[in-house]
Amino acid sequence: MKSGAICARECNKKVAKVKKVIIIRYAEIFLKKKNRGFFERAFENNMQRALKGYTYDLVKQSGRYLIENFQAEEAEEMLSKLQKVFGAHSFSIAQETSSDLDSIFEAAKSYCLESGTFKVDTHRGDKRYPLTSIEISREIGAKILEYAKGKLKVDVHNPSFTVHVDVRDHGKALVFGEFIDGANGMPVGTAGKGLLLLSGGIDSPVAGYMMAKRGLKVDCLHFHSYPYTNMQAKEKVVDLANILAEYTCGTRLYTVSVTHIQEAIHEKCKAELMITLLRRFMYRIAERHALHIGGQCLITGESLGQVASQTIEGMTSSNSVVEKLPVLRPLVGFDKNEIIERSVKMGAYETSILPFEDCCTVFLPDFPAIRPKLSEILREESKLDVEGLIAEAFATMEKMEI
Amino acid sequence: MIYLDNAATTKPNLAALEKAKTYLTEQYFNPSALYKEGYTISGELKKARSVLLSKIADETAFELVFTSCGTESDNQATFGFARRGNAVTTAGEHSAIAAAFAELKNKGIAEPRFAPLEQDGRVNVEKLLALVDEKTSFVSVMHVNNELGSINDINAIAKLVKQKNPRVIFHSDGVQAYGKLPFRLAKEVDLYSISAHKLGGLKGVGGLIKRKSLTLAPYIIGGGQEAGRRSGTENVFGIQQFAFAAEEKFSTLKADFERIKTLRETLWNGLDQTIFQRLSPMDGSPYILNISAVGLRGEVLLHLANDKGLLIGTGSACSSNAKTRYSKVVLACGYNEQVADGVLRISFSSATTEAEIAEAIGILNEIGRDLRKRMQ
Repeated sequence: MKSGAICARECNKKVAKVKKVIIIRYAEIFLKKKNRGFFERAFENNMQRALKGYTYDLVKQSGRYLIENFQAEEAEEMLSKLQKVFGAHSFSIAQETSSDLDSIFEAAKSYCLESGTFKVDTHRGDKRYPLTSIEISREIGAKILEYAKGKLKVDVHNPSFTVHVDVRDHGKALVFGEFIDGANGMPVGTAGKGLLLLSGGIDSPVAGYMMAKRGLKVDCLHFHSYPYTNMQAKEKVVDLANILAEYTCGTRLYTVSVTHIQEAIHEKCKAELMITLLRRFMYRIAERHALHIGGQCLITGESLGQVASQTIEGMTSSNSVVEKLPVLRPLVGFDKNEIIERSVKMGAYETSILPFEDCCTVFLPDFPAIRPKLSEILREESKLDVEGLIAEAFATMEKMEI
Repeated sequence: MIYLDNAATTKPNLAALEKAKTYLTEQYFNPSALYKEGYTISGELKKARSVLLSKIADETAFELVFTSCGTESDNQATFGFARRGNAVTTAGEHSAIAAAFAELKNKGIAEPRFAPLEQDGRVNVEKLLALVDEKTSFVSVMHVNNELGSINDINAIAKLVKQKNPRVIFHSDGVQAYGKLPFRLAKEVDLYSISAHKLGGLKGVGGLIKRKSLTLAPYIIGGGQEAGRRSGTENVFGIQQFAFAAEEKFSTLKADFERIKTLRETLWNGLDQTIFQRLSPMDGSPYILNISAVGLRGEVLLHLANDKGLLIGTGSACSSNAKTRYSKVVLACGYNEQVADGVLRISFSSATTEAEIAEAIGILNEIGRDLRKRMQ
């Protein structure tokens, strides 16, 4: 019993000796010159937000960041959070060792497979180090070959695994095995703010994701038709906003009821124009709200030709009520399966396909107008008190910080 | 707030809660423990068991196994006895039976057979019997339909089934009947599921009544509680509260039955019958009134009623999935999708008052007329 206890303590010591470091390499930020600092600061803030609740040190180096002094067992978890921060090109979880060859080799061993081919790739940040990168690779490679006793071979062109060695200043080296993909893109908040029209479907969360990837801060606006739609449908949208918020460094979800607008259209206008007219209301409300909250564009998940209202004529009709802001449609040229692929990747798909109606289907016409004529739309719309209905909609607005 | 969704769950009986409180705060011991305190609790459980069982069955012929809910009881019965050949049930069952029967097919255990319903929600007995043959191992027929309130005469059906094949194990889901209908189990009924929270008990407590001579293959195994038939430390507090609540319920069962019957008639007679169609048979359980606002959507009415402080149930959901949208039971009664879409289930408890019914009539008529106008 006693010796067992001692052994356990020694093993713990051994484990504690291995110091893990997460290497973060940034993506397009390196293209920036004079205003790089602005992008870096945003990136740092966003990473810190994603890692809230963990203890760690964020160290800036040229072209990359290191995360140090964290609980080693939390490395994977922290990495999964960082993978949702736009601006990172790739990550590695590395071991930090002293830069003598024996220590590097000790660390390198843990990245070796049992058999196959390998290469050692060395980057030498410390140019005063007595060996060149190629020499270091050769030395470590030789030690690995000896250690593997013939089970491993060197193949510098197509190895089954690579051991990366990064020799740094102050006699330190980082050793790691793989490059893990980051989300790429630009740090959220560096490109201004947009208002996403968030439905409960597959497309709009992806559209929000795409624009956040280019650095936009995204707030969300959802239209509901309570009592024709239910609480679960609204809850689903909140869930989607939460999923999106992991990428957009938080978001605000605004919800507005359009029930009375649908009822007014149902009562006074041609049935086949229900969706066309409703969308014009939605765009008007969205633009006004975007301007009110300092948004600089509207974002929608429209994809050309996907449904009757997303034809070029449908887009023209809804676009024509937006006067001051651009409407960004990042999915306009995507096929449904391409959108689904991205939805799965961002983790929204399972939620998006929950079968709750997000907009009233009670008033849905059997055959919606596919190519609505603007003159006809205007004639039908003139039967409605557009401003009054919009004001009524704004009175139902609720806001949620996510 | 007027709560008329008592078929979903009832408000816990607070007096029973108070009486049972000691089993939470003082007598919290494990009934399987060997010291006096534990043993005492095991004795108290025995009493509760006897109270609950004796209300509907002969204690010399039947026994009660505590479970966590009605669903567990139904699952235990199905997977315990539908073990070969075919198993017969009705098209009107609660999903605890319907899904378990689907699983019999998925796992290749037994061939599930579903007997059609009459328009009033009862099973068509002739057709049920036609499905029973020498290879039938298990038959399950619910006592009171949870959507329509229709009552199956399970004692008579069990007898007919056993005449055709005496080896069949007959089960009935009595969740909506126990504590509500005057009734005693006939010896031909082998298994009967009950649930606490439908009569003032708590969620998380149920029971499976079984014929004593029947050997039950346990569905949950472990520490051997409930004489090995259902392992897991007993929910002592929940069971005691259930027994206290049931005691009270059964003491006024017949009077409540008659009173609620009148209330249900008052409600139905007060409703605007140009909007609402009645699906529940008037000779069904008085505790359930199922109506349809044909052409309107039940869930929208539910929301509108909710906003006016009336809580009721529905048979359909605002689901874009046509498979889950309509009540299977209502469709099985032969109604079309328009009727199924407009279904509302109004369900009462012994606590329901005349004043509440009067107010509910006003609200239902108002929202029904309002929505019909909006939809035109």
